[in-house]
Amino acid sequence: MIKRTIHLVLASAALSMVSLAVADDDPRHERHELMEDVRDAAKPVGEMLKGEREYDGEVVMASLKTFSDVAKVFGDLFPEGTETGDGTEAAPAIWEDRAGFEASLAQWAEATDAAIAANPATLDDAKPVLGKVFGSCKDCHDTYRIEEE
Amino acid sequence: MGRFAGIAVSVIVIAMLVAWWITAPTTIAEADLPAHEADAIAGERIFWAGGCASCHASLVDGKRAKGEDKLRLGGGLELETPFGVFPVPNISPHDEDGIGRWSNLDFVNAMQRGVSPDGRHYYPAFPYTSYARMRTEDVIDLKAFLDTLPPVEGRIAGPDLDFPWSVRRGIGAWKRRYLDSSPVLEIEPADELVERGRELVEGAGHCGECHTARDRFGGLDLARWLAGAPNPEGRGQIPDLTPGSKIVSGWSANDIAYYLESGFTPDFDTVGGTMVAVQENMAMLPADDRAAIAAYLKALPVPTDSSADQ
Repeated sequence: MIKRTIHLVLASAALSMVSLAVADDDPRHERHELMEDVRDAAKPVGEMLKGEREYDGEVVMASLKTFSDVAKVFGDLFPEGTETGDGTEAAPAIWEDRAGFEASLAQWAEATDAAIAANPATLDDAKPVLGKVFGSCKDCHDTYRIEEE
Repeated sequence: MGRFAGIAVSVIVIAMLVAWWITAPTTIAEADLPAHEADAIAGERIFWAGGCASCHASLVDGKRAKGEDKLRLGGGLELETPFGVFPVPNISPHDEDGIGRWSNLDFVNAMQRGVSPDGRHYYPAFPYTSYARMRTEDVIDLKAFLDTLPPVEGRIAGPDLDFPWSVRRGIGAWKRRYLDSSPVLEIEPADELVERGRELVEGAGHCGECHTARDRFGGLDLARWLAGAPNPEGRGQIPDLTPGSKIVSGWSANDIAYYLESGFTPDFDTVGGTMVAVQENMAMLPADDRAAIAAYLKALPVPTDSSADQ
């Protein structure tokens, strides 16, 4: 019984540390978490494109909403002084070519908003518009993300 | 005394002759080329599988070529290795500066024996130990495709290396140990898709050059075939591709093929680092080729020594 209580205390202590880590406002952590949200939202949609999951327009629209929300705030999370550290994968190119980075994010936002406006009903309708959204992920990463050490 | 000196000189002369023989470039003869009508369209497939453009395309404003610029093969990229810097040569069909005057035989000997038309060894920064495993017909098709590309001016100087690496002849001894055209993976029973994948992975694709660890002489350690290796271009590890790996083993054949096509991992992260260029080339292949590569990777044995695992 005592052992179990200790376990519970330890577990809740561990949990609160996790939420502390999440709650801190280090932009490096915030942008990392937002990208994880984007990846999680991309996954079901990607599986539809890949032919591994049945097309579901509602899931697609929910994921696009996540992309759209993140795309609008993401550029603000790269202030001076957060170029390195804490396993950030941000490339120096973000600070060297801020305009290019903003343009790349704008491309993502535009492709996402166009896909939302299209509100595709079938996989065939979705493929061209979603292709542009997914392509924008890759384009931006190729230039503005580096491999984590 | 004179007699001993005579013996000593003879021993030295014999040793030098043996060394000369061991390090001599060995080439394929015209008569040994397969009877094959070159097909430039088939050669384009080999061009993308081989990723020739990733090293040989002329840089655009100091950066990696994109789109149509990948077909201008003027070279000039500098490969930095522990042995020195290797400037990548011009392989455009330019008569003076490129390979415009090369015969099919010249090209086959360069690709599959690592020997230049004037009979000198190439440094293995040019991955001919992989290309030795290609079908020679595919090599001839590739030459036909390269001949259709625009000639690019500008001769690229050879590497400037320190002794002993500056002695090209020494590469002959290295080749005796590491140049082998036989397949790495024996496939039993014969499986057409896996064999097609083998040709692409072991041959033109030269995947082993980064994904296999090297021994102290810089040759691939085939006991750890495709089991991952330190990144030759800097930090981190090149991933293990075998079914014993921590990451790729969890990917289905469809996941691997889709990754090569789209650049997305099964978690929908995107391809990164030096693999970006490789993936973009693989995306140019017919879908069957990507499926074949995936089937081959799934057929790999788990290495007994997986210390390079990531």
